Amino acid sequence: MKAGDAQLEILIGRVLRLGVLTSTVCIAIGLAIVLISPHSSPRLLDVGILVLIATPAARVALSIVEYALARDWTFFALTSIVLLELIGGAVAALVFHRKI
Amino acid sequence: MPVVTPTLALIIFAAGAAAGSLGALLGLGGGIFLVPLLNLGLGFPISVAAAISLATVIATSSTVTAGKAGQHLINFRFGMLLEVVTAAGSVLGGITAQFVSQAALQRLFAAVTAVIALITVARSNRRNVIADTAVAPGVLGGRFFDHESGRPIVYRIKRLPLAIVVSFIAGNVSSLLGIGGGVVKVPVLNAGCGMPLRAAAATSAFMIGVTATGGAVIYYGTGQLLPVPAAAAILGVQVGSWGGLRVSPNLPVRALKLLMALVLGVVSTLMLVKGMR
Repeated sequence: MKAGDAQLEILIGRVLRLGVLTSTVCIAIGLAIVLISPHSSPRLLDVGILVLIATPAARVALSIVEYALARDWTFFALTSIVLLELIGGAVAALVFHRKI
Repeated sequence: MPVVTPTLALIIFAAGAAAGSLGALLGLGGGIFLVPLLNLGLGFPISVAAAISLATVIATSSTVTAGKAGQHLINFRFGMLLEVVTAAGSVLGGITAQFVSQAALQRLFAAVTAVIALITVARSNRRNVIADTAVAPGVLGGRFFDHESGRPIVYRIKRLPLAIVVSFIAGNVSSLLGIGGGVVKVPVLNAGCGMPLRAAAATSAFMIGVTATGGAVIYYGTGQLLPVPAAAAILGVQVGSWGGLRVSPNLPVRALKLLMALVLGVVSTLMLVKGMR
C-alpha cells in the first residue's frame, strides 16, 4: 500500500457517504409525498434514485483524478476504463428508453 | 404487478430491512435475499425485482464502504482492478436481461444460488489466511487488523486470472439477477485467491456499488426500476445494513458461512420450483 492510498480511502468514504445521504433524504421525503397524495409527481423520488445510481460513478471519477495527481498511470487507466464502461451502460439505457 | 399501497410499501420496507441486515452480516449486497422476497413473496416480475434490488445494492455498498473506509479491510487497488471486468459484465448483463424470459431468469437464479451454497459448505472449514505476518503483500495484497483473532493479518493475492474471470461472471450475473455479485465473488476470492473472508467480503462490498450501477442504469432506462417500491426497499435496506454493520465484527467466520449456505439452499429450491412452472 502506498502513502496516498489511505487519503484516497477517506476521500472515497466521504463521497459515498454524501451521495447516500443526499439520495436517502430525497427518497424518504419523495416517498412520503407520493404515499400521502398518490397523484403528486414522483420527481423527488427520481432525483433520489438518480443520485444513488450516480454515486459510485462519482467515486470512480474521483479515483481517476486522485490517481492522475499521484501519477499512478496504471490505476489511472484502469479506473478510466471503469468510468467509460458505466458511460456505455448509460448510453445503452438511453437507447432502450427511446424504444419504449 | 402489485399496486404499491402504503401497506405494501411498508412490507417492502420490512423486506428490505431483513435483506439489508443479512447482507451486511455476510458482506453481500442483500440482493440475493431481496430478489426472492420481491419476486416469490410479493409477486413482482423478476426483472423488476432485480432492478429494485440493484438500487438497494448500490445504497448498501456505499454505506458499508463509507463505514469501513480507514480500517484497511477493503483492498481498494484489487477492487478497482476487478471493477474493470465486473462493470463490463454488468453492463452486458443489463442489456442481455432485456431479451431473456422471466422463467429462464428464475432458473438461472436457482442455479447460481445452489452452486454458491455448495461451494460455501464445501469450503466452510478452510480459512486460507496466511499466518506468516512477515510475508510481503505485494502490489495487490493487503494487511489489516483482525478483531476476531486479535492480530494483524497480511495476505497476497493468488490466481489473479481466476479472480478476473469470476469477477466478469459476477458482474454479468449481478445485472441479470439483481444481486451485487458478492455471493459469487466472495467464496472464490476467499477459497481461490487467498483473501481472508473479511477482506474479501469488504472488498466485494466496495466493488458491488459500481457493478450494480452498470445494471441499474439500464433498468432505469427501460422503466423497470419502479420508483415507489424501489424507494421503500432502499430505505429498508439502509436501516437493515446499518444494524448489520454494527454486529458483524463479533461473529465467527464459520457460522457466517454456514448461515449463508443454508439461506441460499432454501432460496434456490423455491426459485427452481417457480421457474419450472
